[in-house]
Amino acid sequence: MPATDQNLPMRSIALEVANRNSVFAVCFCFLFAIAPHFPHLPLWVSGMVIFSLGWRCLQNIGRLGEVPKWILIPMIFVGGVGVFAEYWTIVGRDAGLALLTVMSSFKFLESRRHRDLLILVFLCYFLIATHFLFSQSIPTAVMMLVTLIVITATLITINKREQQVSPRELLQTSSRLVLLSIPLMLILFVLVPRVPGPLWGLTNEQRGGITGLSDSMSPGKISNLIRNNEVAFRVDFEGNVPPQNQLYWRGPVMADYNGYRWKQLPRQQMERLSLNVSERAIKYTVTLEPNGEQWLLALDVPTLLIADSLMTRDFQLLSKKTINDLRRYTMESRLVYEIGLDEAQDYLQKATAYPEQSNPETIAFGKSLAARFNSSDEILNEVLGMFSNEEFFYTLKPPLLGENSVDEFLFDTRRGFCEHYAGSFALLMRAAGIPARIVTGYQGGEFNEVGNYLIVRQSDAHAWTEVWIKDKGWVRVDPTAAVSPNRIESGLDEALADESSNFRIQNRNPIFGNLLYHWDDLQHNWNDWVLNYDENRQRSFLNKLDLGIENWSDMVVALVIMLVAVTGTFWLISWYRELPPRPPGYEILFRRLLRKLARLGIEKKPSEDSRAFLQRISSQPIPSQQLAQADQLARIIDLYNHIKYGRHGDSTLLLKQMRSMIKSLQT
Amino acid sequence: MISLSLPGPVRRYFDNWFETHNPPSRDPIVLHNRRLYILPTRFGYLFAVMLLLLFLAAINYQNSMAFVLTFMLISLAIISLWYTHKNLLNINVELLMPRPVFCGEFCELKFAISHRNQSRRYAIGMQYDQQPPVYFKLDPEGSTTAVIKLPTQRRGLFKPAGITVFTRYPTGLFHAWGWLRFDLPVLIYPRPLENAKLQQSLVEQSDGQTSTSTIEGDDFAGLREHRIGESLRHVSWKAYAQGKGLLTKTFQGHARPSLWIDWQLIRHGSQEDKLSFMAALVLSAEKHGQKYGLRLPGKMIEQGYGSAHRNECLQALAVFKQSDSEQELPLASD
Repeated sequence: MPATDQNLPMRSIALEVANRNSVFAVCFCFLFAIAPHFPHLPLWVSGMVIFSLGWRCLQNIGRLGEVPKWILIPMIFVGGVGVFAEYWTIVGRDAGLALLTVMSSFKFLESRRHRDLLILVFLCYFLIATHFLFSQSIPTAVMMLVTLIVITATLITINKREQQVSPRELLQTSSRLVLLSIPLMLILFVLVPRVPGPLWGLTNEQRGGITGLSDSMSPGKISNLIRNNEVAFRVDFEGNVPPQNQLYWRGPVMADYNGYRWKQLPRQQMERLSLNVSERAIKYTVTLEPNGEQWLLALDVPTLLIADSLMTRDFQLLSKKTINDLRRYTMESRLVYEIGLDEAQDYLQKATAYPEQSNPETIAFGKSLAARFNSSDEILNEVLGMFSNEEFFYTLKPPLLGENSVDEFLFDTRRGFCEHYAGSFALLMRAAGIPARIVTGYQGGEFNEVGNYLIVRQSDAHAWTEVWIKDKGWVRVDPTAAVSPNRIESGLDEALADESSNFRIQNRNPIFGNLLYHWDDLQHNWNDWVLNYDENRQRSFLNKLDLGIENWSDMVVALVIMLVAVTGTFWLISWYRELPPRPPGYEILFRRLLRKLARLGIEKKPSEDSRAFLQRISSQPIPSQQLAQADQLARIIDLYNHIKYGRHGDSTLLLKQMRSMIKSLQT
Repeated sequence: MISLSLPGPVRRYFDNWFETHNPPSRDPIVLHNRRLYILPTRFGYLFAVMLLLLFLAAINYQNSMAFVLTFMLISLAIISLWYTHKNLLNINVELLMPRPVFCGEFCELKFAISHRNQSRRYAIGMQYDQQPPVYFKLDPEGSTTAVIKLPTQRRGLFKPAGITVFTRYPTGLFHAWGWLRFDLPVLIYPRPLENAKLQQSLVEQSDGQTSTSTIEGDDFAGLREHRIGESLRHVSWKAYAQGKGLLTKTFQGHARPSLWIDWQLIRHGSQEDKLSFMAALVLSAEKHGQKYGLRLPGKMIEQGYGSAHRNECLQALAVFKQSDSEQELPLASD
């Protein structure tokens, strides 16, 4: 028998012309999978998708013909060129997605057979992965789980061979498949040995749409950022959280001033960490949301170097790669420190430079301060005193400033946000001959008691200054604190109470506040356990489990054991559920009786019912000593029929009686 | 798919293995675990390739959710392996007694399919060789029938083999199948010579004095129900006495001659040609209401008529083999 020739009639099925329902199902499924991408795609690409799906559906009901090859092939070419014209590349996240989308919508136009539809469904599975390049948040994950169920239901639709299966049942089967996969997925997720990436060069692409600190500061820049309430990073402290007014999160440091905008000096890596510290370090772990830049935020002042990062000579921590994904790192900082005591002369020169022609009033005022006072401290205090005593206001809605912005601010409008105060203060200091620079970053944070961690949002963005004083080094001076002590002590909401701002969860939503803290905690754990689960995390987690899983091969063994155990359990459960129903109690007892009688050589014929059987054995000559037993037997069979045919539901008492009667029947 | 590249000995080994593990059965076949096979389909392999790409992408981008997706899809494949297998498991297939057919016609095999589980079974196909499959589904504890048509090529007793029950439900990533080999042979009559050829052959064969069939007359032909008004002279009183009711004896005169279809009298053509010719004669005689008998080497069937008689004759022709030449009974199993 040529057995192996016939077992897989695959090719014939693959080439079958796809049926109508399957085509509709695949169109819907593709739309479902691609729709969340529409905001990321150029309009014409989205249009292309709608056009192709529409055409394919109309073709399906016979309103339109097939797109001829001589139109389709040039269209494919034009699509490719279009994507290139849009992005000037065809690789990378955005361009790659656009190309994939365009090509799969063309695939729809030429999909005729069963095989084409299956390939399109596989493409839909692949599309799910592309969503995760844009967001890996919990809502995205939930949405993708739903998408997975829809795609799987489509796959089932294609494979049901035109049989009637209700949509409800389709979704049920597909949900069951997907949900049963979750335990196996978890095992694989935990135990599949992780390999450090990347395997091939990643284009270090700049991704638009990420908010965060920028590499320059001018009036209005930070107050724009403040309006954004997204989480910038979350911090788990080992030990107590320092007081709010000590929480200065150091970001980009700017010492280059052109009269309007503060910028970073060309980066110079710190050769050796030179600082005087006395107290013990504060240890904490930062889970940084992607910021599209290189900033690694750290509590002022960071005193630890970590992998894949560097520290500039102005104590700015930088990642070597653009931070496009969640980043988690453990840092150490000191709150009391002396830095830059031996600052290089050239740097100090740059830190006192300013263009003479702009802001003449400010410069003149600064020079006059230098003439009036002897020490730097006195000058500082004079300016800070001016900020706190005179009519300066802290506001998110400062008036627009012209060319000489600092002059206008200091001597005219006197309403500003942290960048106005920090900028004008630093310029005054420089004019007075004191080296000064701007530090941007975040100040404060919101403590989440549910998960015991600090949430720092974009709205906590802040700018302050550092001035260099001989024998003290770089000293942090926050002019905003002089204007609005509330900002530093309590936070933005309190400082801007007049403008009824509500950035904090409990202020934003007093009723569901606690729920929102739980939600944020969930996100934090998600970041921590799911998104940051890399080879280090895997190793430490498996160590913590203490199951002796130490290396690569242990993991594989554990993986196989777990997979077999779980699938075995599933199999057992389904085997058990598919068993024929257990016979009722009286039947089991009756069978026991028959077995007992069989040992005496009395057997019931399959054709007899219980009464006929009883009649037959009663009419048989029975050995005399068993005569009494015959009565008993008759009673048991009567009882059996009584239970079986009588109308009294479940009668455990009668069953008990029957059991004891059978037991007492002597053989 | 396996057949694409298996070298001879390996394939023979597998064929043997399949044979010994799927013995032909007279009883209904239950597709239990040991009778079911499962392999990935072409799309299953394609899916695996896609998963590999996804896995590499996940490593490259160090994207945790891409890992989750990859592992989810691997698990989905494992679960669907199990579901596909489950979709076919413990299905009971019974071949209903097949009706004899003439060679060249399609032989219809009717199967009664049932199962005793609480689950629904979808998209189960049944297929012979490379013929288009028929699909059916089963309700919980349900049953159904499926008919597949087999082309016939040789007369004789045909034991259908190479029939598979298969399924790829729900995801199409796996192909589960079981072999159906029943020990219930289908009788395949010789292909009767067509009418036009029959006339021609009659002329050819009767070259001279003898005819291919000898004709007798005025014989008792049989009994049929008595009709009111018929002569009582022809009533079979013997049958009446046996309690069979009033039956009329019928006789065949010269108008409806009886005949012998005799192997010895047919001179031309091969063995198969002769048998075809004889089959055609049987059909023709039956059609014209003639009484006929069959003479084959080593086998004689007395004259008679009616469908039972006809079938007896055709069967004799179907299974005929020449004893002297020690020829194997042509078993048309392929």
